[in-house]
Amino acid sequence: MFYVPVVFFVLFFAAPMALTVVWSVFERTQFWMEPGFTLFAYDNFFTSARAENYLFSMVHGAAAVAISFAIGFPIAVFIRRRVTRVAQHRVILLFILPFMISELVRVFAMRPVLGRHGIINSLLIDLGIISEPITAILFSPLGVIIGDVMSFLPFMIFAGFLALEAVQNYIFEVCDDLGTGRVRLFTHIILPLAAPGIFAGAVFIFVNSLGVALVPTLLGGPGAVNAGLIANQAIVALDFPLAMAISTIMVVTLVALLYIGHRLFDLTRILEPIS
Amino acid sequence: MYDDFANPWNIRLKWVYLLGVVFALLMPVFYTIYISFNQHGFGARIYEFTFDWYRVVLGDTLLVVSLKWTLYLALAAIVATIPMALLSAKFYKRTRRKVAFVALMLSPLFVPADIMGSSLLVFFKNLANGFVWLDEVLGVYWFDGWFDLGFLTALIGQVIYVHPYAFIVILITMSRYRVQQTEAARACGATAWQAFWQVEFPQIRVGVFSSCAFVTILSFNEAVRTALLKGGFDTFSNMLVAQMLNIGMSGESYAMAGIMSIVSMLVIGSVIVFTLLRAERLERRARAMAQPLMAS
Repeated sequence: MFYVPVVFFVLFFAAPMALTVVWSVFERTQFWMEPGFTLFAYDNFFTSARAENYLFSMVHGAAAVAISFAIGFPIAVFIRRRVTRVAQHRVILLFILPFMISELVRVFAMRPVLGRHGIINSLLIDLGIISEPITAILFSPLGVIIGDVMSFLPFMIFAGFLALEAVQNYIFEVCDDLGTGRVRLFTHIILPLAAPGIFAGAVFIFVNSLGVALVPTLLGGPGAVNAGLIANQAIVALDFPLAMAISTIMVVTLVALLYIGHRLFDLTRILEPIS
Repeated sequence: MYDDFANPWNIRLKWVYLLGVVFALLMPVFYTIYISFNQHGFGARIYEFTFDWYRVVLGDTLLVVSLKWTLYLALAAIVATIPMALLSAKFYKRTRRKVAFVALMLSPLFVPADIMGSSLLVFFKNLANGFVWLDEVLGVYWFDGWFDLGFLTALIGQVIYVHPYAFIVILITMSRYRVQQTEAARACGATAWQAFWQVEFPQIRVGVFSSCAFVTILSFNEAVRTALLKGGFDTFSNMLVAQMLNIGMSGESYAMAGIMSIVSMLVIGSVIVFTLLRAERLERRARAMAQPLMAS
C-alpha cells in the first residue's frame, strides 16, 4: 500500500520524463512520429534561432534568480533571526497568499500595472518624476524578468527560511557574543548554512523562468520566447520530436543542476526540520 | 557587535520592507479586482462601481460549464491526492532511502508546467496508441479509449502537480507526531487502522485539511497542464487564457481573473485565519496548564 505513490510517480512522472529522450530521436511524420533514430530535432534546435532564444531565456532566468535572492533572502533571514519562534510561521503565511493566487492571474495582473496607462506610469507622471510613460517595463525582456520575479519570489523566501530553520539559535548567539560583524556573519555563517535552501530556491526560479511560457506570452511582447514557449509552439506545429528534444534539454539542465547542488550542499538538509 | 533592538527603527524599517514586499506581490491582483468592478473597464478616467462584468461571466453558459469542470477536477484531485500524500508522508518516515524518495516526490515542483504537460501529452498519446495496438493483436475492444485525452489524463497531470505541496504540508504536521504513540496504541491491542484513525489522524488533521484547501486552489488555478491534457472540455483558467489571447483584456477577463483571485484568497485566507486561531488556542491551553506548575 505504501508503494502506491512510488508506483504512480514512476509510471506517470519519471517514465514520461525519461522517455522524452527516446521520443526526441524518433522520426517526424505528418501528424505524429515513428520509431527510428535521428538527431534532426536537436540539429533543428541548435542551428536555429531557438538555441539563441534558449540562451537569452537562461540570461533572463539568471537575472530573475539574482533579483529574487536580493529581495527575498533578507526577508527569510529577518524572519528567522528577529521574529519570535512562535510568530515565524505566521509571518511566512503572509507569503503563502500571493503564492497561492493563480500564476496566470498574477502574470495577467502585471499588465495593467506595468502598461503605458498602468498604475506605475500614471503614478510617476502624476508625481512629476517622468513626463512620458516608461515603455521598457512591459512587452520587453525587462517585463519578462519582472514577471518572473513577481511569480516566483515567495519560493526564495520559503526555501531560504526552511534552510535557516534547521540552524540552531545558539550559533547566532555565539556570533553575537563574539561581536561578529554583519558582513562576516552573513558571508561566513548565514550563507553557508542556508546554501541548500538558496540553491533549491534558485533552481526553482531559474528552471521555471526557462520553462513557464505564460510569462513571455503575456509580458514579453512579440518575439519573446523561452524553452516552454518553444516546446508549446512545436506541439502546435505537430513537431513532437522537436518538443521532446526541448523537454530533454530542460530535464537534463534540471537534473544536472540538482545533482551539482546536492553534491555541493546536500539538499536533504532543507527537510531536516520536518523529518 | 551590533544590536538591532538598540535602535527600534532598525526593526521597524525591516518590518516596513517585509510588508512592502507582500504589498507589492498582492497589489497587481487587488488592482485587477478593482478594475473588474469598473463599469468602463481598464484605463477609463471615470470609475463607476458595477457587478455587471461578473453578471456577464456568470450568465455565460460556456463559462459556467467550464467552472463546473474545474470544480469536478478539483474534487477528483482531492480524492486522489490526499490519501496518496498521506501514504507518501508515512512512507518517508519509515524508508531508509529518503533521498531517492524525496527526489521522486518533489521533482515535479522543479519541472515547468509546459515541459511536464508536453511530455505527458506525448506519453498518453503513445499509451493510447499502445492499447489500440493491443486490441488489434488480441482481436478485442477491451482497451478501446484507454488513456485517450480527457478527464482522467487531465486529473493525472493535476495530481502530479499538486501532490508535492500536499506531501510537504502533511509531512510538516506529521513531524510533530511521535511514532511511540502508534506503538503504544498497537501494544494496547489497536489494529493498524485504529491506531492511525483514532490516535494519529486527530493530530495531523489540520495538515490534511490544509492540504485539501491547497489542492483545491492549485487545481482551480492550474491552466497549462490541463490545456494540454484535457481533451474535449475546458476549465475556467483555460477559458481565461483563451479570452486573453484571442479577444484581449476585456472587462469580462478582468472579472474572470477577479473570480479566480477572490476564490483563492477566501480559501487560503480561511486556512490562515483558522491556523492562527488554533495556534492561539493551543498556546493559551499550554499556558493554562503551565500556570499551576509555576505556582507550585
